[in-house]
Amino acid sequence: MEILDKLVNVALIAATLRTTAPILLVALGGSFTTKAGIFNIGLEGQMLAGAFFAVLGSIWTGSAFAGVACGVAAALVFALVFAVLVVSFRANEVVVGLALNILAGGMTISLMKAIFGTRGSIVGQGIVGLPKVQLPGARAVLGSWAPLISGFTPIVYVAFIAVPLLVLFYNRTRLGLYIRVVGEKPEAAEALGISITRVRYTASLLCGLLAGLAGAHLSLGYITMFTENMSSGRGFMAVAILIFSNGDPLKVLAGCLLFGFADAFSLRLQTFGYPSYLVLTVPYVVALTALFALSYRARPKIIKETLALMQKLLSADRNTEPGGKHPS
Amino acid sequence: MMNDRLRAVSGQVIAVAVALVMGAIIILMVGESPVRVFMTLLRGTFGDQAKIAGTLLQTTPILICGVAACIGLRGGMFNVGIEGQLFLGGFAAAWVGFAFPLPAGIHTLAGLALAVVAGAAWVAIPAYFRARYNTNEVVSTILSNYVAVLLTSYFTIFLFKRPGGWSETPPILPTAYLPELFDFSRLNWGLVIGLVLAIGTALVFRYTSWGYGVTMVGSAPKFAEYGGVNVKRQGFVVLLLSGAVGGLAGGVETLGVHHRFMEGFAPGFGFDGLIAALLANGSPVATIFTALFFGALRNGSLLLEVDTGASREIITVIQALIILSVSAQVLVRRRGDSQAGERRWKF
Repeated sequence: MEILDKLVNVALIAATLRTTAPILLVALGGSFTTKAGIFNIGLEGQMLAGAFFAVLGSIWTGSAFAGVACGVAAALVFALVFAVLVVSFRANEVVVGLALNILAGGMTISLMKAIFGTRGSIVGQGIVGLPKVQLPGARAVLGSWAPLISGFTPIVYVAFIAVPLLVLFYNRTRLGLYIRVVGEKPEAAEALGISITRVRYTASLLCGLLAGLAGAHLSLGYITMFTENMSSGRGFMAVAILIFSNGDPLKVLAGCLLFGFADAFSLRLQTFGYPSYLVLTVPYVVALTALFALSYRARPKIIKETLALMQKLLSADRNTEPGGKHPS
Repeated sequence: MMNDRLRAVSGQVIAVAVALVMGAIIILMVGESPVRVFMTLLRGTFGDQAKIAGTLLQTTPILICGVAACIGLRGGMFNVGIEGQLFLGGFAAAWVGFAFPLPAGIHTLAGLALAVVAGAAWVAIPAYFRARYNTNEVVSTILSNYVAVLLTSYFTIFLFKRPGGWSETPPILPTAYLPELFDFSRLNWGLVIGLVLAIGTALVFRYTSWGYGVTMVGSAPKFAEYGGVNVKRQGFVVLLLSGAVGGLAGGVETLGVHHRFMEGFAPGFGFDGLIAALLANGSPVATIFTALFFGALRNGSLLLEVDTGASREIITVIQALIILSVSAQVLVRRRGDSQAGERRWKF
C-alpha cells in the first residue's frame, strides 16, 4: 500500500497533466484534419519541427514566446506542404505524411549539425524556457492540492482550455460545421457550394498550429532542450487516439489523459528502479492495447450496420416485388 | 505497354532530379557546397573496390526490407513496422547464433528461420486486427516499432549482455556466420538472398493465381471479393509474409555483418526499404535498383561526415524529398481520373 501511496499522489496527477498537454494539443490539432476527412500521419513530423524551431527561435531572440512563434511557423510550413500535396495534388496521405515525418527527422538533425556542430541534442546555448504561471490565491484555496491548477506553463493551460473551445467550434460555428460536413459527406458539401479544398486547407493549417504548440511545449516547457526525434512517437499515439475517438474533443481528452498518465507513471516507475527499457514501452503498449481493444469493441456496431443494411436491401427487394406477397 | 512503362520510369527519374535540386538548395542553406557534397557522396559510393562492396553491403538490408514492403503494398497494406520486425529478427538470429551450438550451415539456417518466425510473430497481432476488425495497420505497426526497439534493447542489456561489453550480446559462433563473398569486404550471401527474394517475389506475383489475387485485393478489393478471394484472410497472410521478410532482413544483418546483436544496430533500414519500395511503385524487381540507389547514398554519406561539415542525415532529407516529389509529380499526370476515385497507394 505504501508503495502505491508513493506512486499515486498529487505530484503524479500534476505530472500527468504536464505530460498530457503535448499529446492533447497535437491530438486536438489532428481532430481538425480527422473531422475534415484527412488521415494525418504527419503529426509527428510537424511536432518535431515545432520543437526544433522553437528552440532555435528562443536562442535567436532570447524570448520564449518568440520561440513558440517560430515553432508554430515551422509546423505551419509542414502542414501547408502536407495540404498542397494531399488536397491539391491528391497524393496518398499516408505516403506524404510518412515522408514529411522522415523529412522532419533528417532536417532537424542536419540543421542541428550545421548550426551547433553537435549531434544528439542542444542543451544550454541560451535557450529560454517558458515561464510557469502561478495562479494567485491557488495556494490559499487549495492548500497542498494547489499544484493541480497552478504552476504550469501557459501552453498547458492553452491545451486544456482548447478542449471546450473545440466542442463549441464544432457545434456552434460555421467553419466547424463546414469541416464536419466535408469530412462526413463531401458530396453534400459540394452540393451546398462549400469549397472542399479551402476547408481542408484550413483544417490542415489549424492542425499545424496546434501541433507546433505541442512541439514547443516539448522543447521549451519543462525541459529546455532539443534532442534527436524528441517527439518519440507522441504524434503517432495521437493518431491512435484520433482513430478511436473519431476526433471528438471530449473523447480525445479522455484518451490523452490515459496516455499522459501512462507517460507520467512510467517516468515514476523508472525512479523506483524498474528496468527503464521495459518501463518506456508502457505508453506505446497502452496505445496499442487501446487501439486494438476499442476496434474490437466497435465490432457489434459493424455487425449491426451490416444487418441494418441487409434488412434495408431485403425490404427494398420485397417492395419492388410485383403482386405484393406480404405475409399478413 | 512498353510506352507506359517508359513513361512511368521517366516520371520517377524526373522526380528524383527535382528532389536532388531541392536537396542541393537545402545543402546550400546549411552552408555547404552542393557540388562538393555530391562529389563526396559519389566518391564514398563508387570510389574503389571496397567502396563498391560497401555500397552493396548497405544495399542488402534495404533490398530485403524493400521486398517486405512490396509484398504489403501489393496487397494494399502499409507495413510501416518493418523496422521493428528487423530488430526482432536480428535479435532472434543472434540468439540462435550465440546460445545454441549447432553444426555449420544448419546453424545459419536455424538462425535465419527463427528471424523469419520472429518477424512474422511481431506483425501477427496488428495483422490479425487489421484483417478481422479493420484496425488501421499504419498506426499499429508504427507504434509497435517503438516497442520492438525498446524490447530488444532490454533483452540485450538486461538478459544477454556480453560481460564487459558495451550494450551488445555475446558474439555469435562462427558456425552461424553467413559466408562472405569476397575477402576484402564484409559483403556476404545476404545480397544473394535479397536478389533471389526480389526476383522470386516478382515471379510469384506475376505467374501464380495467389499472387494475382493479392494484386487484385490491393488494387480493387471489391472486385477481388466478388471474384471469390477471401480478402480478410489474404490481408492477414500478406502482412504476415511482409513481416517474415522484414525479420529475415534483421537475421541477415546480424549473421552476415555484425555477428552479434547491438543496441540500435540497423537504424532506419526498415524505413529506407519502405521508401525504396514506394519509389519502385511496389515492384520487387524495380526495388533492386531503388535499393541500390539508396544503399549508395547511405554508403556515400559515411564519407560525407568525415570529409565535409554536412551531417549524414542530409541523405534522409533527400530521400524524403524524392518521395514527396514522386507523390506530387505522378499525380499531376493522373489528376484527371483521381479526382473522383479514392486515393490509391500507387501515387
